[in-house]
Amino acid sequence: MTRQEILNELKKVISPYTTNKEMLAQINEDTDLLKDLKINSANLVDIIIDAEAKYDIEIDYDEADKMMNVGSCIDVISEKIGQKQ
Amino acid sequence: MLSTGNDIVSLNAINVTRTKQPNFYSKILTPTETALHQQPCFANISFEIFVWLLWSIKESTFKFLQRIDADTLFTPVKFEVSEIQIPLGFNLQNFDSSQLTGIDFDGLNAILSTIKFGDHIFYSNSLIYRVFVASVVNNTEDFSQTHWGIKRIDSDDIEIQSAEVRAFLADNLPDKNIVISKNPRDIPVLLKDDLELSIPISLSHHEYYIAYSFQLPV
Repeated sequence: MTRQEILNELKKVISPYTTNKEMLAQINEDTDLLKDLKINSANLVDIIIDAEAKYDIEIDYDEADKMMNVGSCIDVISEKIGQKQ
Repeated sequence: MLSTGNDIVSLNAINVTRTKQPNFYSKILTPTETALHQQPCFANISFEIFVWLLWSIKESTFKFLQRIDADTLFTPVKFEVSEIQIPLGFNLQNFDSSQLTGIDFDGLNAILSTIKFGDHIFYSNSLIYRVFVASVVNNTEDFSQTHWGIKRIDSDDIEIQSAEVRAFLADNLPDKNIVISKNPRDIPVLLKDDLELSIPISLSHHEYYIAYSFQLPV
């Protein structure tokens, strides 16, 4: 998957946890999950679990703590998908 | 190291089924922490509330540290709740008032915890009602100068939550000429005459609940 494809799918994963749909429509790799999308930190684990299910990967805590902006989420997901292949 | 960290979790907003799934709670709790729930003192605290209690303690600790080191990352399992004391005969109560404020937690059936993060030790006081879990963290066991507040609001809109928690804190600050702002690292701070005060604050909101803490020097 390309980074753009992962980003497009990631939008769907994030969507239930943000009310800022305008910002969601414009997300890019620099978008911060908490500050820009106003996602409550209590939902960060939900996003990780949903991403794991979506891409059939397992994200451990050392990787999860990097997932604060869209670009770092794509890094982690991309690396995990690569390890599967 | 003067700082403060707080967090509030609305228990009506949590996904109970998901919280009980090992792939979810194992991202928040270590196996040692998970085992703590088997202690008889937790008889009146369900596992899902226990998970969110520890989340609120860990997030509060993270916020305490983030104020000092903005590069601190929040990895819940790296914040280890090593000790937790539930008041004897603890029972969940209704939150009957619209707001609660205090200094220290004496006489409030607070749950005391000790948290380890690397070489650092922190202490937390947590309040659990049927509708929320709220925690405040300090780096000493002395909470005598720890001011805190919890309030129910009528909207879960993020902009309103943010405005309400700032107004709630402002109402309870000792000086009315103080402005609540953010520093360049995006950490909330208090300003007076455009100068940052050495009174650390922490703000939190979740669904219909907002909370603050601030720490005065002992």
